[in-house]
Formats: sequence, structure tokens, C-alpha cells
Amino acid sequence: MEKILEIRNLAVVRKQKVNSVPVLNDINFVIEKDELFCLVGESGCGKTTLALSIMKLLPKSFAVKSGEIYVNGKNVLAMDEKSIRNIRGKEMSIIFQDPGAYLDPLFTIGLHMKEALHEGIKTQREMMIYALNEVGLEPYVLHNYPHQLSGGQQQRVMIAMALINKPPLIIADEPTTALDILTTYQIINLLNTIREKYHPGMLFITHDLKLATRIGTRTGIMYNGYIVEIFIPGKTKPVHPYSSILMGAVHKHFTISKTMLSRQSDICPFFEKCPEKEIECQKQIPFVWNKDMTGIRCIKHGRNS
Amino acid sequence: MKIFFQRLKNHSKLAYFSFWFLIFFYIVSFLADLLAPYHFDHQFRNKPYHPPTKIHFVDENGHFHIRPFVYNMVVDDPVFRTYREDKSIRYPVKFFVDGPERKIFFIFKTTRYFFGVDEPAGIFLFGTDTYGRDIFSRLLYGGRISLSISIVGVLISFTLGMITGGIAGYFGGLLDQILMRFVEILMVFPSFYLMLSLRAMFPLNLSSIQVYFLIVLILSLIGWAGLARIIRGMVLSLKEEDYVLAAKSLGLSHWRILFFHIFPNTFSYTITALTISVPGYIIGEAALSLLGLGIQEPYPSWGNILSSTIGNLKVVGDAPWLLLAGAFIFAVLINFNLLGDALRNVLDPKNW
Repeated sequence: MEKILEIRNLAVVRKQKVNSVPVLNDINFVIEKDELFCLVGESGCGKTTLALSIMKLLPKSFAVKSGEIYVNGKNVLAMDEKSIRNIRGKEMSIIFQDPGAYLDPLFTIGLHMKEALHEGIKTQREMMIYALNEVGLEPYVLHNYPHQLSGGQQQRVMIAMALINKPPLIIADEPTTALDILTTYQIINLLNTIREKYHPGMLFITHDLKLATRIGTRTGIMYNGYIVEIFIPGKTKPVHPYSSILMGAVHKHFTISKTMLSRQSDICPFFEKCPEKEIECQKQIPFVWNKDMTGIRCIKHGRNS
Repeated sequence: MKIFFQRLKNHSKLAYFSFWFLIFFYIVSFLADLLAPYHFDHQFRNKPYHPPTKIHFVDENGHFHIRPFVYNMVVDDPVFRTYREDKSIRYPVKFFVDGPERKIFFIFKTTRYFFGVDEPAGIFLFGTDTYGRDIFSRLLYGGRISLSISIVGVLISFTLGMITGGIAGYFGGLLDQILMRFVEILMVFPSFYLMLSLRAMFPLNLSSIQVYFLIVLILSLIGWAGLARIIRGMVLSLKEEDYVLAAKSLGLSHWRILFFHIFPNTFSYTITALTISVPGYIIGEAALSLLGLGIQEPYPSWGNILSSTIGNLKVVGDAPWLLLAGAFIFAVLINFNLLGDALRNVLDPKNW
């Protein structure tokens, strides 16, 4: 299969005056063509940071410490500003969380879409209308301003902008968080239709594990800057202690205190809160890969499987 | 454009009126060559401090005339400069009269003016000054200078301020430090004294066109610093907005983001600041002219028409029409302020 996105040993830190805090550690995964890779994790575990580092749009206070990101075979992190600009929107595009904030209030939808289409295309209008049609919007919204549309319509516009150039990689960063449950359902259906039609590699970031297990072809679970487990929903069950807790949290009220997140990189990231911890967990835990591209970062469960 | 007028009208009738009032003022003063009955330096030596001419429709015998007419005014008392109407001959007001050649916008030649009367009578709608020059004509010609100085000056200083502030705010770092320290140096000087000293640096015997451009330049070089500061602050916060990140994710260049996404979002402030700062230029020009450093006689500007009354309190009682230039300045200023206030609300798409 064709590798659309490949991340190798990615580590990102947030720079501070004296030291730098690790945000992402040892991220390794591959997204293939026509795959919907879901990334699940609680707030603050680094999901958005990961999405932004793929786009090379990290804020200035963040820095990539090590690792490589390949989009369509091109090393994104080694690129200069100009060549990355040519890739953004063309070979990879991103759908953001809160569509209202990510649309310029002074631009009509038509102007937004014109910007998404790179210059020099003659059939601009046809392409814009086609893309809007794809996401189920009428052509008249081209003349509307973002605030005149509903949240669901705004998100559809964002999706239309993301797919107008038919990029091989689409990153969706919690695209349904700001929407109600029915609109969420519609947007998910829409993303599925698009995937069936254009077969892009998709990275779907969410904190809704239920949703992720339903739509994803593979699902990764993130905790504290680490990917702790990758599993195939429906085929394998998540076995990492954190994944089990997360699965449990879907059904019952379960709170994990978030006050003391361990940022030590030399022990298991979930060590402090793990119900099944052992003494030997207090060392660097490698990510154990299985043959079907799944894997786990846990001594106990990794050993068993 | 049509929608804009509709919105402005709906938002505030007063601002809508101000808008058309200002448009009218600009058109009238730029067509001064056509509309003014006399050239600005045409002197009636025998008619100094002539009061505004009365326009008559009914003559002495009670006959009504459709065409308005004036009487020639003759000096009654040369010491106190009082005039009386010589009612023996009627001088009808003629429209599209012939006269010496003038150039509209320095391009189109015209020998016909909108209205006038035959000599020796004169039609002085707002009276005459010390040299017997028609104040109405001078106000029209002066408006051309005063109003265009404000527009050109505002455009120069806003372009400078926006670009400097925008670059400093968007790119930040060392560039920001250098630009802002420079702006602060400019802001340290009290603007009026800076204006005076800048003017004093240049020779006094310049042609009026040179003086005009000099004044525009001086006023706009003083005005941009404060704006650059504010724009920088706005850009600093706007560049963190989510839609800027979204624009970056579409692969747009920095310049495109700055000019197409960030600047338009500062317009809600800038347009208001722009209309409100226009009066500053009119006043600045008036202040320079008042001190004799601006537009020089015989070329009129509202400032130097007003300055001819300075130190001459007698005119307040005897020839109050000389103060009309002040009324014109006031009218334009208040209308700009009203319009600027309304524009901010009208141009925000969230209110549509």
C-alpha cells in the first residue's frame, strides 16, 4: 500500500526559559491510502500539536526535537517555508475544530474557496460549486459571510475547502467537537462519503472513543504525549490499561485527576495512574509492533500478545 | 455600493446626510473654476469690505422679475466703508457668462462660468475682503486646497502607518524593535513644534505648488506614528486568530495573509480613525497658514482666509463674513466626525 503519511520518532517540546517541556514523545505511525486513522486522547495529550506539526504550523514556542515526517514521500520538517507553502492545501489539508473561528469574518465563502484553490485555474467557479455540492451546500452560499451560516454549514465549508484540491492527506482535528450530535452524524457521514470517493489518507483526531471505534480503520490512543496503543476496531480489543479505562469511561463516570501529569520521559507515561503497575514499569517502555500495524506500549500486555 | 448607502441610511440618517454633504463640498470645491464668479485674486479695488450682495426679485416699483438681479453698490462713507445700493440700474444675474479663460482641474479650458453679473456691479455672495476679493470665490478655491490636503495627507500617513505597523506586528522580532523605536522617536516631539520646525527647515520663497506638497508631506509625516503603534497592536492580536492559522494551512504567503486577512480586519478601527483624522489635517493646514507658513497669498486656503482676520478684531463687528471660512472648517469637521462614527458600524459585516 501507498504510504501517505509516515511519522518516525517524532518528539516535540515546548520551549521555556530554563528547560523545555516534552509535548510529544516517540510518535511512530503510518497512514496509508484510503485509511482513516483515528487518534483518541484526553485534552492536552498532544493531539492538536501532532496535527500542527504535520502541517508545520507549530506556534513559535514549540520546537521539533527529533524525528521525521513524510507526507507523500516528502520530508516536511526539512522543507523551507516556500516549498511547504506549496504543499499545504494541495497535498495535505486540515479541518479545524471550531469552524466559526477559522473562517475570516470579512471574507465571503466564495473568497475563502478561491484562496483554497491555488491561482491559475480557469474553471475556478465550476470547481468551487462542485466542491460545495460534494459537501451538500447550495452554490448561493458563495456570496454569504461566515456568520450567516450555521455551525454545520460552516464546517461543511471547511471540509469543502480542505478537499477542493483533492489532497492525498486530510487531517481532521476534532471536526465535530463544536457541533451537536445530529450534525456530528451528518459530518461523519460526509467524511465517509468523501473517503469512499477520493480515497485520501485521513487522520481523524477526536476525544470520542466511541466515535473513533465506529469509524476508524485503525485507532491510536494517546496519553501524555505518547501513543500508548494502536488497534483495529472490531478486530482487536484495546488492552492497554489506559485504553481499558478510557473504554470504561464511555459507559460510567470515571475521572482521572489531571493535576499531576508526569512529564518524565524515562518511565511509562501512565505509570502514576496505572491500576496494573509493576515495579519493572519504571523504565523506558518501547512500543511493540504487531504484524497488522497495531501495537502497544506496555510491558505487561505487550508481553502477553 | 448601493447596499452600502442603504445600510448607512438605515444606520443613521444624520451620517447619511453628512456623507452627501461632504461629497457635495468636495465636488463644489473641485469645480471651483466653473462655479466661482470671480478668480480668487480678482480685486475690486473700490469695494473693500463689501457686505454680501443682496439678490433681488422685486424692484423698486414692486414689479416681480423671474430673473434675479442685483444693484450696484456705491460707497456711501469712505471712512467707515458703508455702502448703499444704487437703484437706478438693475443688473440681472446671468448664468453661464463669458469671462477670462480658466482651467478646470488644470486640464479642461473654460471661458464660461456658472453665474455672474455685468460690471461695474459685482455679485459677492459672502462679501469681499480688504482688497475687494470675493470671499465666496476664495472659499471655493480655498476648499480645493484644504480638502485635498486632508485627503492626500490622510492617504499618505495611513499607508505609511499601516505598512509600518503591520510589518512590525506581523513579523515581530528585531524588525519590530527597530521600527517601533523609530516611531517612538517621532512621537516624542510635540507635533505642532515639529510641524513648525520642519516648515522652517525649508526656504520661504517656494512656489505655491511646492508649498502645497510640502504641507501635505509635513502633515502626513507627523500623523502616521501614532497610527503605526495602534495598527501594530491590532496586528499582534489578529495574527493569533484562528482564521490566520487556517489561511496558513491553505498555503498562503505571509504577505497575502497580512494584506488580505489581517489588514481588512483592522479596517473597523482604521476607517473610523481615518475619517476622524481628516479634520486634523484641515486644522493643521489652517494653523500653518494662520501663522503665515502655509499657503501664501494670493492663493487662498480656508486657513489663510481666516488668518486675514487675525489681530483685526474690528472685522468681527464690521465684516463678520470674513469669518465664514471658520464656519466652513467647522461644518466639514463635524460632518467627518459624524460619518466616521457611523462608518465603523456600517462596515462591520457582523451587523449586516
